[in-house]
Amino acid sequence: MANTEASLKEAMTIDGAIGAALVDYSSGMALGTIGGTKDLDLDVAAAGNTDVVRAKVRTMEHLGLQEEIEDVLITLGSQYHLIRLLTSASDNGLFLYLALDRGRANLAMARHQLKRIENQLEV
Amino acid sequence: MAPQPVALDELLDELRQLRARVPHLTGSLAASADGLVLAEDAGGVEAEGTAALTAAALGVALRLADVTGSGGFRELVLRGETGYVATYAAGPTAVLTVLAEPRANVGRLHLEARRAGVRIAELVHHGAVPATGRPLPEPGRTAGTRSPLPRRRPDSAQGPDAAGGSVPVGGPDPSTAAPAPPPPPGSATAPQARPSARTGVRRGGGAAETTAGSPVDGPRES
Repeated sequence: MANTEASLKEAMTIDGAIGAALVDYSSGMALGTIGGTKDLDLDVAAAGNTDVVRAKVRTMEHLGLQEEIEDVLITLGSQYHLIRLLTSASDNGLFLYLALDRGRANLAMARHQLKRIENQLEV
Repeated sequence: MAPQPVALDELLDELRQLRARVPHLTGSLAASADGLVLAEDAGGVEAEGTAALTAAALGVALRLADVTGSGGFRELVLRGETGYVATYAAGPTAVLTVLAEPRANVGRLHLEARRAGVRIAELVHHGAVPATGRPLPEPGRTAGTRSPLPRRRPDSAQGPDAAGGSVPVGGPDPSTAAPAPPPPPGSATAPQARPSARTGVRRGGGAAETTAGSPVDGPRES
């Protein structure tokens, strides 16, 4: 098991990682952030991606889908943004957010590593 | 500093934009630091009462920030069972109070309300909105301008007399603190109090003193 800080540090070791955050999507506030650049304010990303997650949850409710979101991938011209919802009972309402440089990242590997980090994370 | 009512429209506009930008925001108001409504978009909540209570809460918040060496006031967030009440600094004389539903995105609320606070500060600061009442305590005048604060000042002013700061930091004996007269507003009490050893311990060597109660710091953040 790893704590928030260790998990975020590990997320930054993923190839191409630019920044990562652990976000509480009931409040839109980040529990922890790491990395980021002048152009990638992770607190803004936390608040904005909270809206993304909430919108998807609401849409699934409207569609009558009795499913859980495992992850969300957003592909930009030069970046990948991965959102992975935490599934353990105690960590409900949180997601991991990872921004990757598209040129340096291996998406399949990044997704796999982020899943492992999520499984080990204990808040 | 002749009041130009036209800025009140701009102020109201700012509040409406804030409501449009933040989902689940139920109301907001801009108030002077001493509790008078400047503009409100409060959505059914009694604005005057809310502004007055905001000022009261602000007074306590300023003291708490001062005593704990946390510097100037930035924001105050209250989470109730059925909603949020958050107050943000908007320049030295005004605050922005926002009401939101419990499901509001607080991260987004912070981002938007801080920006709105800066803009409200600009509107108020340029004298466009009548600056009602007293400003928030300026650096070094904290004690003089707010009635609850002088109690702390006699305590620290007493320092040099009270055997070189051997008095415990927490809670002065009321019987010894009471006879000390509150300092006159705007007097040089603060510099006099500073040599006290205990003042340094309690307020981080006056660093908090210079920033406390200057919400004009707000703009620095963005």
